[in-house]
Amino acid sequence: MRAKSASVIAQTCRSILPVVAAALLFFGPLLFPVAEVYLLVFGMACFYAALAMAWNILALSGLYSLGHGAFFGLGAYSAIIFQQQLAFPVYAAVLAGGLVGALYGLLWGVVLKNLRGAYFALATLAALEIPRVVADNWESLTSGSMGIVGISRLPALELGLISLPVGESMRGQYYFLLGWMVLTAVVHRQALKSRWGWALQAIRDNEVAAEVLGVNVYGCRLLALGVSALLTGIAGGLYGHLMGLIEPAMVFSLQMAAYPLVLSFFGGRFQVLGPMVGALVLYPLDQLVLQPWLPQGHAAVYGLVIIFTIFFFPRGITAWLQQRHTS
Amino acid sequence: MGVWQQAILAGLSLGSFYTLLGLGFSLIFGVTRAFNLAHGDFILLAGYLAFALWHFWHLPFYATIPIAMVILPLATLTLRWLLARLPEPFELNSLVVTFGLAIVLQNLFLAFFSADFRLIVLPIETVLSVPAWSLLVTANQALLLSGSLLATLVVYLFLYRTFVGKALRATIQNREGAALAGIRVERMQLLAFGVGGVLVGLAGPLMAVNMYLHPAGGLEPTLIAIILTIAAGVGRTGSLLWAGWLLGLAESCTALGIGSSWRELVTALVLLAILTWRSRGRINPELAS
Repeated sequence: MRAKSASVIAQTCRSILPVVAAALLFFGPLLFPVAEVYLLVFGMACFYAALAMAWNILALSGLYSLGHGAFFGLGAYSAIIFQQQLAFPVYAAVLAGGLVGALYGLLWGVVLKNLRGAYFALATLAALEIPRVVADNWESLTSGSMGIVGISRLPALELGLISLPVGESMRGQYYFLLGWMVLTAVVHRQALKSRWGWALQAIRDNEVAAEVLGVNVYGCRLLALGVSALLTGIAGGLYGHLMGLIEPAMVFSLQMAAYPLVLSFFGGRFQVLGPMVGALVLYPLDQLVLQPWLPQGHAAVYGLVIIFTIFFFPRGITAWLQQRHTS
Repeated sequence: MGVWQQAILAGLSLGSFYTLLGLGFSLIFGVTRAFNLAHGDFILLAGYLAFALWHFWHLPFYATIPIAMVILPLATLTLRWLLARLPEPFELNSLVVTFGLAIVLQNLFLAFFSADFRLIVLPIETVLSVPAWSLLVTANQALLLSGSLLATLVVYLFLYRTFVGKALRATIQNREGAALAGIRVERMQLLAFGVGGVLVGLAGPLMAVNMYLHPAGGLEPTLIAIILTIAAGVGRTGSLLWAGWLLGLAESCTALGIGSSWRELVTALVLLAILTWRSRGRINPELAS
């Protein structure tokens, strides 16, 4: 009975989802160059897609983190503090923020070395609380729970001959975030298809067997954790400049930990493009449809989506579309 | 002087409340081996329910407690309905689904009650004054202490002195063994979720008078419940009480020594310490998954 209704729902979703996805991408920002809101929303969708892929790099090694908000927040705070108090150039400060995130990630690698499964996930929740409480209380450095306001917009990015006005125009910001997503996607692809990626899969499937076959389990995992934390930290720094303000409750939040998990699971966490599809479908839906209708609490959709994903298509929608394609 | 006595009293009443948080969590964890990350949000749900009844319908505070205790089991039984249908792998999926539930509840609180801090304000009276120890017991503290301790005692008597309670403990300790002995494991699970829901329903209003309610405030009680469950073991009321008091005292001493805003750091550090020790087999090896 249950299986039957599930399969009916599955079939309907299978026929509707590609259409929805195609429509959303089709009516994407480039066809509406005048509609700034599309550029903004799809730019941010790219941003969250990159965040999701960064998270997934660690998840591919079999460890599910609920505390990536820690790297995100550390990256955001470090980037802003380096820039405002040590007079770093903006992009250098953002990279330095990413490095701070990566350092915290390596610390996880040492302290949480023996934890697996649910116990690792619980430990990451605690590891998210620690920098949040510090940021809340170290008022001389972080101005406490009031947060830091008036953060400058991202300056133009000079790449050889090309100069991209990132903070000046919505279009520039969109291209920049698109580029950031593509860069992350390349790393994400390596975590799936390279030698390292195969090692990660072996570790995920059976750690002992992988070790016996000569895979450096600890090293591969530490690399995944470090890269994941680095990319998440950089994203945090960018977020501060995109939003113009940061506060502890905003960047060190469960919601920030939830986005990448939900988008990856929903999109398909074993596909190169999975998390990206998840973000490009779900985030515009949330922002363009739900947010105007329910200004506070619209993010509940992420909770509902993850519950439905686990019950009805645990390998994500892209895995599903592929199944449909091959069957 | 006087400050430390007051801190110890605050720690004990806080710790007793933590025991109440841990009891409901550990019963549900015991019969399913699922970490319910929405536990704290269920408590907030009960708290906001009490707040709404008190604030909008002007019910007396003491009337909201039984109402919450009747309604909250519906929430936990819904969770049990979800968990019973979960596809494999159970451990990961139960974690992700309860996390999703926590996100949903958080956003519902945000939609209905906004991001403001909410508190049920009772007229504060001193119930007991012991000048010799320079100690003052306020009505809130007395309520927190007596409510939590009474609930712990009732659960203790139920688990250790009644036949059904013993069957429930047997289910917690070894599901297959209990089934072989003729215990209906399914019913015991329903019972555990039901009792867990009643305890959550009691904890919510108590939290609403003593601590501020905030949509994102569910994480803290969840972490505390996890700490107590891992440290004390499942369904052991006595150890839970000791663990709760220890944690409560540690937090109130930190609040006194460094400042109350650092209290949450203690929770996080203790959880990390307990998890890493556990991974070396030092604590409750029988809890290994």
